[in-house]
Amino acid sequence: MEPTFLYSLILSATLFTIGIVGVMWKRNAISLFMNVELMLNAANLAFVAFSREFGLMQGGALVLFIMTVAAAEAGVGLAIFIAIYRSRRHIRADEIDLLRG
Amino acid sequence: MGADILIYAILYLITVGGALGVLFNKDTVKSAMCLILVMIALAGHYLYLGQEFVFAIQIIVYAGAIMVLFLFVIMLLNMREREVTPWYLRNPRFVGGVFALTFFFLLAIGINTFGSVSQGRAPAPAPSISELATLLTTKYSLPFLLTSILLLVAVIGAVVMGRRSDPETGEEYLADEEEFLQEQF
Repeated sequence: MEPTFLYSLILSATLFTIGIVGVMWKRNAISLFMNVELMLNAANLAFVAFSREFGLMQGGALVLFIMTVAAAEAGVGLAIFIAIYRSRRHIRADEIDLLRG
Repeated sequence: MGADILIYAILYLITVGGALGVLFNKDTVKSAMCLILVMIALAGHYLYLGQEFVFAIQIIVYAGAIMVLFLFVIMLLNMREREVTPWYLRNPRFVGGVFALTFFFLLAIGINTFGSVSQGRAPAPAPSISELATLLTTKYSLPFLLTSILLLVAVIGAVVMGRRSDPETGEEYLADEEEFLQEQF
């Protein structure tokens, strides 16, 4: 196992953990969203590291797809936040509970 | 190898520091700036791991497009806690000029160094982008095409969610829009 591979996986795990902590802690919906992006980036780094370790290019293709999904998610999600802010004046994630069962 | 370890250590510190900045900043704008830092540092990792194409789209799509969208929405919703302008932002022309000059000299130094380093060395083989393109057009051609449909649906969804009124009846989704605008401006 190459040291860069181990290093990349450790960094990826660190970033993912920080992202999870952020999702748990933050109340503001946009901060929450940014931490989700952080977690997606950590996954991307893991894909690239595995791709290099095994000498394949599949990791790059998967990263491309993840980035497309992330871009679509950011576009639609932020539009939803703007719509919510228009009617409720805030986007505190724990107070938007209209759909709670 | 020693220089490599140093570069990795610096990149690790920048990435984790930026991520902690995203976590601990109260101000959403500063949080977003830290996230941009993390994304640029990760782009550096991709370059070192031999994925030049991922490096490029990481900067263009993530640090460029997605984070600008985030900053735009934060500014639009005006969620900053306080509006005190720090001393270094009082004179935007001066700050912009200093940044531009620093960036110019950094670029000049970088290009200069690159010229002296690349002399007398055979060009490194760079098969990764063409391999990736082959993979995307053969094995992953169907997911690649589905991506375009996903993006189309996302564009339509964003437009529908961002609408102010019902297009058929003309009825406003928000009753107190006027009051909202007066509040804002």
